Amino acid sequence: MPIIIEKDIQINLPNYVIVRRFDDESTHCLSHCMKAVDYIIEMADRIVFLEIKDPDNPNATHKDRNKFFKELHSGTIDNNLKTKFRDSFLYEWACGRTTKPIHFWFLIGAENLDSGQLVRRTESLKIQLPINGPGGKPWRNAFVVDCEVMNLSAWNRQLLNFPAKRIST
Amino acid sequence: MSKLIQIKLENFTAFAYLDQTLSQGVNVLIGVNGTGKTHLLKILYAACSITVGEDAEKGFGQKLRNVFNPYEGRIGRLSRRDSKSANTKIIITRSGGSKIAANFSNHTKSSDAKISGELRWQKEKLISAYIPVKEILAHAPGFLSTVSKREIAFEEIYVDIIKSAFLPKLMGPIDQYRSKLLHALQEAIDGKVIIKGEYFFLKNKQGDLEFTLLSEGVRKLALIWLLIQNGTLLSGSILFWDEPEANLNPALMGKVVEVILELQRQGVQVFLTTHNYVLLKEFDLRKKINDKIQYISLFRDEFDAVSAKSTEDYLSINPNAIAGTFDDIYDQELKRSLAGI
Repeated sequence: MPIIIEKDIQINLPNYVIVRRFDDESTHCLSHCMKAVDYIIEMADRIVFLEIKDPDNPNATHKDRNKFFKELHSGTIDNNLKTKFRDSFLYEWACGRTTKPIHFWFLIGAENLDSGQLVRRTESLKIQLPINGPGGKPWRNAFVVDCEVMNLSAWNRQLLNFPAKRIST
Repeated sequence: MSKLIQIKLENFTAFAYLDQTLSQGVNVLIGVNGTGKTHLLKILYAACSITVGEDAEKGFGQKLRNVFNPYEGRIGRLSRRDSKSANTKIIITRSGGSKIAANFSNHTKSSDAKISGELRWQKEKLISAYIPVKEILAHAPGFLSTVSKREIAFEEIYVDIIKSAFLPKLMGPIDQYRSKLLHALQEAIDGKVIIKGEYFFLKNKQGDLEFTLLSEGVRKLALIWLLIQNGTLLSGSILFWDEPEANLNPALMGKVVEVILELQRQGVQVFLTTHNYVLLKEFDLRKKINDKIQYISLFRDEFDAVSAKSTEDYLSINPNAIAGTFDDIYDQELKRSLAGI
C-alpha cells in the first residue's frame, strides 16, 4: 500500500494509485528554476497534484506557524501555490505526462480552520490558478480541472479510501 | 447597577424547560428559525422595561403581552402548545438576588398572569433598549400618535425604540469612551444623526439626508449612535439587538462587533441573536482576554422542545447552526470536485 509521510501527517493510499514524491531535488533536478508541488498521484481517471502544509505539526515553531497563518488568511499563500502548480504542470507537460485531467489538492494540517474559511480559501485558489479561462469561460485545453483546500477532517470525510492521520497522536 | 443573571422557563412557546445562566457581558444566541431566540430577548426586555417610566405602571404581565402581541391580547397563547393544559412559568433573576416571576396557563385571557416579586424588582432601574430586526426610525413620523389613538398590529418594541431614539442628548460633556464609540459609528455611517420634529436625518457633507433615503443597515447603525449619544446605552444598561446583521453589508460587521464589545467593556450587558457566520466569527476574532462572551445555542431536542447549550469558547458551540450550514456548503463543494474517487 503506497504511503505518504509529510512532516507529522501520514496518508495511506489505495493500491490502485501510483504516487511519486515530486518535490525531490534528486529526481526533479530543476528546483533552481522551477517550483514543485510535494506529490503527484496518478489514478485511473485523473492526476492529482498534492501540496501539504502542516502548521499543527508539534515540531513546528511558533514563528513558522504564525507566518503560515498570516500568509493563508491574507491570501498571499495563493501566489506561492499557483507558481508551484503551474511550474509543476509545465514540467509534467514537457515530460509528456499530462495525459489525464489534473486536479490540485492542498492539504493543511490545521484543525482550527472551519468550513467557512476553507470554502473561502478554495474559491480564492480557483481564481488564482485559474481554473477558468478568459471571461470565466472554460479553457479549451484545461490545465487544471478543479482544486480543493482541505484540512485533515475534511480530507477524511470525503476521501474515505485515502485515510490521513497525524502521526504523533 | 445589577445585571440579568438567569432565566428559567417552563412551557413557554417552544420551550418545555429552560434554565439558562446569563453572561453579564455579551450573550450571543444562535439557532435555526423557530428555536425561540427572539422570544428570549423579548421576555428579558419586558422584565427590564417595567423598571422605568410608564412601563412601570403596566407591570410584567401587560408588558409581556404587549411585546409579543398575541392574538386578541391573550397571554395564554404564549403557553407551549401541547395536547394537554400547560402551566407556564417564567422566572428571571438579577445580580443582587431579586427575582420576578410570571405564571399563567394556556387558558389565561388578557394579561392576567400571576406576577410575583414585582415590587422589589422595580426598586432598581434597568435601563434598556430593544432593537428589532425591522428598522422603524424611517417610519417614525406619525407612528407614535397613531399608536396612541388606534390599535395597530405592531409589537410594542417598535414603539419603545422610537421613544428611546427621540430622547434628547445627554447633558454634560461626553466622556472618552462614548466619544470614541460615536466617532467610530460616524465613520461607518458617514455623518451624524439629527432630529427635526418627528423626522430623523443623517447630516453629512451632502446635507441633511432623510432616513428614507438611507439603507436599512446605515439606519440601524445611526440608531445605535443615537442611543449612545442620548445616554440610553451607558454602563449598567442593557442592549437587546435582534439580528444586528440584517440588511448590513458584511464589510461593516467588524465595526458593529467592535461597538458591541466596547459597550460590554464599559458595563453594558448585551443580548443579541444572529444567523450570520461573519458576525459570529468577528466575535471570535476580535474578543480580548477580559471580554465576557457567552454563546447560547438553541436547538430542538428529540421531543421537539427547545433546549440550550452554552459555552464561552467559539469552537465549542454545539450545535452550531451557522457553522453547520457552512459545513454543508463546503462538503457540497468537495463532493462536486472529488466525485468518483
